[in-house]
Amino acid sequence: MKTKLTIAGLLIAIALGARLPSVFARGDGFNDAVKTIEKFYRVKHQNIPLLARAGMKAVRTAARIKGGTYKKLAEAGSVRVAFFEDQDFDSRGQIASFKGALNNTLIAEWSPLVQTLAPKSEEHTYIYLREAGSKFSLLVVTIERHEAVVVEATVTPEVLAELMKDPEGMGKAVTEDATIIDN
Amino acid sequence: MKALFRTLGKLAPVVLLLLLGTAVTTRAQGAKLQLDQLDSLTNKASETMDVRIDERLMQTTAKFFSGKDPDDAQIREVLKGVKGIYVKSFTFEKEGEFTSAEVDSVMSQLRGANWSKILSVKSKKGGDNVEVYLNLAGDLINGLAVVSIDPKEFTVVNIVGPIDLEKLSKLEGQFGVPDLGIEKDKTKKKDQD
Repeated sequence: MKTKLTIAGLLIAIALGARLPSVFARGDGFNDAVKTIEKFYRVKHQNIPLLARAGMKAVRTAARIKGGTYKKLAEAGSVRVAFFEDQDFDSRGQIASFKGALNNTLIAEWSPLVQTLAPKSEEHTYIYLREAGSKFSLLVVTIERHEAVVVEATVTPEVLAELMKDPEGMGKAVTEDATIIDN
Repeated sequence: MKALFRTLGKLAPVVLLLLLGTAVTTRAQGAKLQLDQLDSLTNKASETMDVRIDERLMQTTAKFFSGKDPDDAQIREVLKGVKGIYVKSFTFEKEGEFTSAEVDSVMSQLRGANWSKILSVKSKKGGDNVEVYLNLAGDLINGLAVVSIDPKEFTVVNIVGPIDLEKLSKLEGQFGVPDLGIEKDKTKKKDQD
């Protein structure tokens, strides 16, 4: 009986082995991305004051991309934002090294979806994705010469499908909607 | 020892199914080009874009395109069976900032046994600068690659799974597939050498 169980266990483990690691020990990609920026550019992020956060939009986006009806991008309370303002983001010709560092930090748990880089203007955007139960977490890192924003938002598969039609516009939509304050 | 063989016998159909599934996936994955070596162009380019939509993401999102909306229904149909979309695009400020040797990592893969250059497509942007390759296994299409080479731009689009030019044109401008300006009516079949 013991032998049977061992063999069955081994076979199942072999069959599922490749999928198991992602289930365990999830790191915090948001903090990892913030730390990578801080280390590479020697800058410090600012947290958003609680009051400002309360006034933020709960993100209304997909409609802006393709027209159509209003849809919420992220579920309320599932948006995390870190700002870097009035700081120097000069990679000194090493923008590809930053891309490599960020990818190495996140690749174990996040899938890179879209990465756009403009080395001359020091503008780059990275979008990563991972499953979060029945939803998806999007991690968007946007860096310009003097500011950067890291946004993590949880979206439903329906909203993700809508955003996927325009992957390039996705980063802008998520970042704008997560950072514009409602008046 | 007998117990071992009995257990293996019972589990054999399950294992066989798993292996069969793996084999089908592996064949389609053969149409996936290795594009990472192109990253060496990043620091030279004025703009680069890298899009990776793998099979899992592709199928997850495809499910949510409603059959009621005609546009969404069309997308859903086009995406049926597609196992991945991968795009890398580099734009340069001046001509001659990249050499053919630097993009040979991709071109050499397309000279491989399963790839056939099927079309030379006139781009709306001018010049015969877009080449379309199919990855074939007999009559089955495993994937498609489009390479666009301009003096100041290099773009490669790799779609894994059953896809043809008609489907490709419907994906242009969506899912990270750039507008390649393919004029289907002006395409001409090249001698397959």
